[in-house]
Amino acid sequence: MVSGGNASSLPLVGGSAEPTIRELSRPGRKASKYPNLDVPEVDLNHPALKNEKAPLPEVSEHDLVMHYSRLAHRNFAVDLGFYPLGSCTMKYNPRFADYVASIPNFSNTHPATPSEFTQGSLEILHILEDYLTEITGMDHASFQPPAGASGELTGLLIIKRYLQNQKLDHKKDIIVPDSAHGTNPASAKMAGFNVVEVATDQRGMVNIEDLKSLVNENTAGLMLTNPNTGGLFEEEILTISNIIHEAGGLLYYDGANLNAIVGVCRPGDMGFDIVHSNLHKTFATPHGGGGPGSGPVAVKDYLREYLPGPIVVKNSDNYSWYTPEFSIGRMHGYHGNFLVALRALVYMKLLGKEGLDTLGSYAVLNARYLSSKVSKHLPLAYDEPCMHEFVATVKELKKSHKIKAYDVGKALLDKGFHSPTIYFPLIVEEALMFEPTETQTVETLDDLAESIKLIVEELSAPGVNLTDYPKNLPVGRPNELIPAKHLTVHWGDFELLELTE
Amino acid sequence: MFVPHSNIDLNTIFDELKISSLEELFSHIPKELLIDGGLDFDESLSELEATELFETIASKNASKLVCFAGGGHYDIYLPPTVKSLTMRPEFMTSYTPYQAEISQGILQVLFEFQSLVCDITEMELANASLYDGATSIAEAISVAINKTKRDNIIISQGFNPNSKEVINTLIDGDKFNIKYIELDNYLFPEDYEFNEDDAAFVVSFPHYEGSAQDLTELVNKAHAKGLIAICYVDPSMLGVLKTPGSMGFDIVVAEGQSIGTPLSFGGPTVGWFATKKDLARLVPGRIIGETIDSNHKKTYVMTLRAREQDIRREKASSNICTNQTLNAIGSAIHLSWMGPEGIYQVGYQAIQKAAYMKSELKNSGLKIKNESTSLREFLIETKIPTSEVLTKMGQKGFLAGISYSDNELLIALTEKRTKKEIDNYIDCFKEVNNG
Repeated sequence: MVSGGNASSLPLVGGSAEPTIRELSRPGRKASKYPNLDVPEVDLNHPALKNEKAPLPEVSEHDLVMHYSRLAHRNFAVDLGFYPLGSCTMKYNPRFADYVASIPNFSNTHPATPSEFTQGSLEILHILEDYLTEITGMDHASFQPPAGASGELTGLLIIKRYLQNQKLDHKKDIIVPDSAHGTNPASAKMAGFNVVEVATDQRGMVNIEDLKSLVNENTAGLMLTNPNTGGLFEEEILTISNIIHEAGGLLYYDGANLNAIVGVCRPGDMGFDIVHSNLHKTFATPHGGGGPGSGPVAVKDYLREYLPGPIVVKNSDNYSWYTPEFSIGRMHGYHGNFLVALRALVYMKLLGKEGLDTLGSYAVLNARYLSSKVSKHLPLAYDEPCMHEFVATVKELKKSHKIKAYDVGKALLDKGFHSPTIYFPLIVEEALMFEPTETQTVETLDDLAESIKLIVEELSAPGVNLTDYPKNLPVGRPNELIPAKHLTVHWGDFELLELTE
Repeated sequence: MFVPHSNIDLNTIFDELKISSLEELFSHIPKELLIDGGLDFDESLSELEATELFETIASKNASKLVCFAGGGHYDIYLPPTVKSLTMRPEFMTSYTPYQAEISQGILQVLFEFQSLVCDITEMELANASLYDGATSIAEAISVAINKTKRDNIIISQGFNPNSKEVINTLIDGDKFNIKYIELDNYLFPEDYEFNEDDAAFVVSFPHYEGSAQDLTELVNKAHAKGLIAICYVDPSMLGVLKTPGSMGFDIVVAEGQSIGTPLSFGGPTVGWFATKKDLARLVPGRIIGETIDSNHKKTYVMTLRAREQDIRREKASSNICTNQTLNAIGSAIHLSWMGPEGIYQVGYQAIQKAAYMKSELKNSGLKIKNESTSLREFLIETKIPTSEVLTKMGQKGFLAGISYSDNELLIALTEKRTKKEIDNYIDCFKEVNNG
């Protein structure tokens, strides 16, 4: 069928539905055993306690292990196949980092342990700060934000506090491109700013004339990812940064697409004042089915005292925590997602200078190659050289054959690939956004392009029922209306619904 | 080193792109922006060299301090079974389950997580996780503000100070009035009167100081004035504690570390969020629902997506995108492993061991600040500054607790602590405390 790359076979196990752990439960079974109480037992008579046992499942350990292993068999993953999901940077996650993150002195430390007993963990954060600031061209970083969206909010709160300190409280407008990730406007709103949308031009980049017309004395800043969500490098970035800075605004870099430029160029040199990085994207920590991530925020020197604290400082003979003078406050109960940060540092140490210098280049090389191959079968949204990702569109196929981006994504699942990101960026009709990352082979990229070709042929054939796709997976297309309407979100809910209808 | 291309591969790619070097990829980027001479880093390490580096750095952390600290994060026994299932690569290296057909594994585990959280808290709808306990409290407060359209937050002082700091960061103090209520003898004052412009009653169960009370009457009083009642619960005690649902709470949030996640220096852990169905459309984060596919086969799918940032943008219920799914999976598996008897033992033994320790400390002439109302965690007075106690006890191999004030120490017990460890602790503590 396809040329035999490593994504060409279906990795998932189907068969009948797996029962829930509650359905597997039988009274009296158990997996756990605890030691007998070794202190004298006293009567507990306390108004906050209950008499009945918690209604948890009762299963044997073997049943428990089989259940969750069988569920694992029904899940696609980076370790199983190609995940060309645009904006998500689904690269290989080195196993070696798992080992380091499981060293007990790192993984079993209580977060309230005094710093004199956690010098190793503080050293990790300090070294990682050096790496991140060198890569991004910034000066200082905080590891408080546990994810990218939290990093965005951190950056915006820094802008807000900084402007307040400058007595510039009237600056309330945050400019966000119409192509931006949804977290950008959501975070700006949470921080109490007005969201002002700037248009994208014909080439797929920020419309400079529109930007000029939107910037005024109320401009607090601009949120931008570069390359942008169309996968294009904002070639006028220096002009953009001048426009914002001249109006007294700050530039915020959304690090979602940082993988494209590691070792190539740096947000700090482009004029950005604040940068968040997604360690779970660029620095290869596992996505975990949707999290955990880590979204450290790095700033230029003049904003250091606004960082969420505490941050690590190096003294002559030790490391200690320091809360910056005008800190926006904590973004996390303790030190952010420390073990994720640790894994990112492991990755950087394994790559070293030679790996980090060329990281962005290889990510772009693979995307450029895949875009060249895919463009033979589907038109691209923009006629510009792409960076680490690119956007194709099926709007013509929709007109001619009613084939939607959604359908192409579903048909790709049958070929053993994850779907690309669909319907994003919002400004491209019927968008398919591909991000191959640097860790995929030529054969796999060829396979994907070949599969796109086959799918276009297959779906355009007469008599095809598009809703039949995917055909070969544990389940077909889900009915999305039932849970939204009836809130079947707990394991009693669906049965109850069937009984009443 | 994770780039697979051989020179032959590179030639294939270069031919396709009609280029002859990597540099040509960036001819459209302004010259002055391109990094000249590369980044300032050391050479790459082999795994063997990296093992030595990271093990050396790890050895600078004190190893195996016997943990008597809590404050939201507890040293509970975490079975290898739970760790190894959670770390299955299909769970660990997958993305958010947007494509339901190839994500039934993650979707079903998260659905089970939501159901288990609902069952042990007696709520109706849980989400698929938030960042941690502290940020979950702030998200719950946002829901209450959005629901009631009121500005005052009535919150107990009995929270971890770090959590209060997170709340103060995330809830805009210019717009909303966060009113902290002092505890009365380590309990929330039963005679507290709420007002009709209060949005939320926020309380920790047990309180940070370790004392607990039946909150039913206070929740009733809050409801009478139209407030949303929010409970921050210690989830590892839910085998013995009254459920927040039975006390009438509208929203339950928790720091879920103690269920399924190692201490991890505080992160990644997981925030639990559960509520009643009438608040469904204000809930932050992802929610998984049960449905059927085109062949009427049981299927799970992300639902109520119209609340989320990728669809609603600035009108979303929260900006959260990446969450703590893997830790939520750990919670689900750990709860299933413990079962009703296991989670009961975890709570019951912690309280019994705390009772033993309190009585032994008292017999040694030490003052317990909240002896009768506390459960697994309590406050004692120290003669020397707590920072000194922590240092000296640390040198003797104990994490003695958390400094509550200059002369008060917060001590936590779990089912893991043995009589011998408690006795040793007390012997060392007597010596240290006497200077």
